[in-house]
Amino acid sequence: MKKTWKINLFTVIFLMAILLPFVWLVLASFKNMKELYAYPVQILPSSWSIRNFAEALREQPILQYVKNSFLVSGIATLLIIVICSMTSFSLARTAIKGKKIILLLILTIALLPPVTLLNPIYMMLSNLNMLNSITGLALVMVAVELPSGVWYLMGFFQTIPMELEESAMIDGASVPQIFTKILIPIVSPGVFTISIMTFINVWNNYIFASVLNPTKKARTVTVALTMFSGETYTPWHLIAAAAVFVSIPIIIVVLILQRRIISGMLEGGVKG
Amino acid sequence: MNGKKRLMMGYLFLIPAALVFVFLIAYPVFNTVRTSFYASRIQTIRDGAKFVGLDNYVEMFRDTDMWTSLAFTVKFTVISVILETVIGMVCALIMNRNFRGQGLVRAMILVPWCIPTVVSGLMWSYMFAESYGIINYLLSAAHVIKDPVPWITDKGWAFAAITIADVWKTVPYMSLLLLSGLKTVSSDYLEAAAIDGANSVQKFFRVVLPNMKNIVLVAVMFRTISSFRIYDLIKVLTDGGPQNSTKSLTMYAMENYFTYGNLGYGAALATLTFLVSLLIAGLFQDGVKSKMEV
Repeated sequence: MKKTWKINLFTVIFLMAILLPFVWLVLASFKNMKELYAYPVQILPSSWSIRNFAEALREQPILQYVKNSFLVSGIATLLIIVICSMTSFSLARTAIKGKKIILLLILTIALLPPVTLLNPIYMMLSNLNMLNSITGLALVMVAVELPSGVWYLMGFFQTIPMELEESAMIDGASVPQIFTKILIPIVSPGVFTISIMTFINVWNNYIFASVLNPTKKARTVTVALTMFSGETYTPWHLIAAAAVFVSIPIIIVVLILQRRIISGMLEGGVKG
Repeated sequence: MNGKKRLMMGYLFLIPAALVFVFLIAYPVFNTVRTSFYASRIQTIRDGAKFVGLDNYVEMFRDTDMWTSLAFTVKFTVISVILETVIGMVCALIMNRNFRGQGLVRAMILVPWCIPTVVSGLMWSYMFAESYGIINYLLSAAHVIKDPVPWITDKGWAFAAITIADVWKTVPYMSLLLLSGLKTVSSDYLEAAAIDGANSVQKFFRVVLPNMKNIVLVAVMFRTISSFRIYDLIKVLTDGGPQNSTKSLTMYAMENYFTYGNLGYGAALATLTFLVSLLIAGLFQDGVKSKMEV
């Protein structure tokens, strides 16, 4: 194929453009201050010591923040799975009235800028003593992630022909059996994809996390990354180390699951 | 299970989402809109707030900072969405072919998507540094520039820096979305077009694009709405500078709320942001309709 070289060139350029910025960050996490600010730019660190990582973890309780992020994302994801499955089932497989309105309301959630919700939610959580809490932030994130979960799972439910359920009922299956034997297995890839998307979106959230969980107790890692500061200079060695420390596990997990994630995304597009 | 029971289940199953909606969406939105009609400040919140009608909005339309913010946000949204859609489409078209390394490319696409925006903002901030940033180093080593580019400290360059960082973060995901759309275009159509003598460009604009119209519209619509509310990236990369030239509307509203404690004015700005988002959705009517099909 004559066009092969063009495509190979594209592949190389594309991959470099995607990965080099992050590779540069990884290299920075091993450099000392002199090397970070050096000009002409020094590509490789002089030594691969993990000094920066140790110092970053000393400067801020990063591990605790990772735990917080994990709990917030985990709780939000579990709630999303449950709530979105129920809602999608309702919309896609029952004959309830008012579906158009419900879908309109769900669309409104997606159109809402976070800043429109922030202050009242802040006040409300404050009154309920739920500021700086894992559950408070998790609940708020559930609201934010609800639309994509519902739309995605609706698409999945809609691919299951009603005949399947009807023939199972004729065969004498009960409601719970239809659920567990038919619906859940077919929808589970969708649930898997939604779990990953929700987990990552909640983990990466900054605007809600920075306002609702400002103190150490329940601070998430994305907020913590912005809090490394120096008096006269930016401590890039700490920032880079912390950023890499936090990002690498995510990247590893995503790359391990990449085939399923990608097929989930590609199929999700088809169903709109 | 008979129809009635299933119907019951249908309504009952909506309850969790309904609760979430009422308490975390409906109430806050009404509260924000309502607060925008009051001269409410955090400092005097115990004294209660005075009803001022449209005063906050009048002040808002007279506020040059608001217009600067809005202008920047609109300009950024338009430019970045166009870039991301075009580049994303090109990447999607190429990824649609079978080639060596295809799996690797698709996997690596997930890297920019999965790292937090603040990480990417910090990363680009380091790269765009005027004196020690690698971007300037590479550009001058390639003799493209003579003097280092003031990426963060110059208004025009700061805009470019933010756009570049945003494109890096979102093109990968956008191209995946568009790729999924490409895959829905049946090859029968393409073959028929080829038989009629259409070349690649004609095939794309007359066959491929119309057949994936909905997916493209939805992707572009949500990308536009997301771009309009940009906050994380700017906060970390330029913090609204230099001289507020890159302060997005969301950032300006946040500032009024949480830095100045001006709840009433912040609420007016937040309401404006929401209204513009609705306007954007209105422009993409077909995209909206496809999300309402059940």
